Amino acid sequence: MLSFHNADASIGNIPILRGLDFTIPASGTVALIGRNGAGKTTLLRSVMGFTNVTGEIRFDGQDISDMTPAKRPGLGIGYAPEDRRLFSAFTVEENILLPAQVARLDSATTQSRLDRVYHILPELRDMADRPAGNVSGGQGKMVALGRALMLGTKLIMLDEPFQGLAPALAKRYADALRDLRDTDRNVTLIITESNPELLRGFASQTFVIERGAVAEGALDYKKEPT
Amino acid sequence: MNLTLFLLALFDGIAYAALVFIVAVGLTLIFGVMRILNVAHGSLYAMGAYLTASLTTFIVSAGLPPVFAFPCMLVSAVLIGAVLGGPLEWLLLRRIYHKPEVLQLLVTFAIFMILEDVQRLVWGTQPIFQSTALQLLGTVRAFSVNYTVYQLILLPIVAVVLLFGLRFFLRRTVAGKVILATTEDREAAQAIGIDADKVFLLTFIVGAGLAGLGGALASPTTSILPGIGADMIVLSFAVVATAGLGQIEGAALTALMIGLGRSFAVYVWPETQVLVPYVIMVAVLLVRPEGLFGSPSARKI
Repeated sequence: MLSFHNADASIGNIPILRGLDFTIPASGTVALIGRNGAGKTTLLRSVMGFTNVTGEIRFDGQDISDMTPAKRPGLGIGYAPEDRRLFSAFTVEENILLPAQVARLDSATTQSRLDRVYHILPELRDMADRPAGNVSGGQGKMVALGRALMLGTKLIMLDEPFQGLAPALAKRYADALRDLRDTDRNVTLIITESNPELLRGFASQTFVIERGAVAEGALDYKKEPT
Repeated sequence: MNLTLFLLALFDGIAYAALVFIVAVGLTLIFGVMRILNVAHGSLYAMGAYLTASLTTFIVSAGLPPVFAFPCMLVSAVLIGAVLGGPLEWLLLRRIYHKPEVLQLLVTFAIFMILEDVQRLVWGTQPIFQSTALQLLGTVRAFSVNYTVYQLILLPIVAVVLLFGLRFFLRRTVAGKVILATTEDREAAQAIGIDADKVFLLTFIVGAGLAGLGGALASPTTSILPGIGADMIVLSFAVVATAGLGQIEGAALTALMIGLGRSFAVYVWPETQVLVPYVIMVAVLLVRPEGLFGSPSARKI
């Protein structure tokens, strides 16, 4: 589904990731574990086309390394960046709908995708008309997930979704992810996290990212070296 | 100052504010989205004025109805936006978005200088008068003074329609939302499939077209001669900076403030008419460095 073949990624002239060579199978739930600064965000941004990549990134059998960033979401990729990044000028629902409008989805498809979002995240329906600039940090994460769900029919990438969430909200967010997992078995989920404990029992596969290199690992990866 | 003079100053100010707003709103739109202060905006204004005068003169001399002077303005604005603005963004500006601001200023200033010479080459240095549109609409008696319908009614209507039209376009249409989203967060916009390059091109064409429209609307009210572009860019920059860069509604109010300040200065203390807009700007920026409506951190258009 998503594979890296001898890929290096850099931002500006600074190399961040090197020798990436791994495959994420379809419909898996992948935990990408690594310390702050290890390159988790860079890996996701590379899939979205925001870094300089040499080598090959393949999605659904297609080499996307040279594809412009704006074309990639249309392949079925939804991405929720680390710090929400909502458009504050719009309401919550406008934020969620915008990707579908940009992709020119017909109204029936748009409505069914919106229903899917509201089914998984019913709390978003209650705040649909609120300005996105006025929702709390945790609610904003939910909105960002909802927005990613609109185009993310094949792959959804969530960058540190639990970061800064109050325990109750974190649990609610994890429940929503499980709902998503249960209702849509085809979608592939990639979730980055610095604390592997949060994804225990949820991820079907774990990759560990350390000093710019990725290896398949187990969840017993220790957060801090002892 | 008697009532007649007061009214004249008031009407002058409103008419002038309407023109300055139309030009300034294009400047602030381009800055809000692209983060580039486009000095060449003044040339686009001047070219719009020259082009409208030429087209109108052609129509009148060809024996066509003079009312075609109005479509000429729209045609000029579209031409300036699409034929001049489009290639400018695509060929030149696109290369400098990631460069330091000083370089961006130098490049747009260079474009300004080149376009100024192009105007001299094409239209010469003699002032051009073409007031067909102004005369066509006649005058109206408002209280105790006669004033041209074109300046007192048409220009403010265009400015107000533009203000609300732009608001509607940005908040209610998908194309507008895409522009707002790109303004706020370019990467997040691309991450939902927005083609930022296309948005920049569209924005620049619209902004340049507004400069051209300002020039087109100004052409019947003034003599068109070298230097009008420089005057206008400096004044609309004053409006944009006073309002806060990227603020559309703010630009409307500030244009009115500066337009009225300038016209009252003409009647009360003419020596200061050039100075007044900058005194207003400096006074505002001393108290609020981010502008009247700007906020220090958030980007908005």
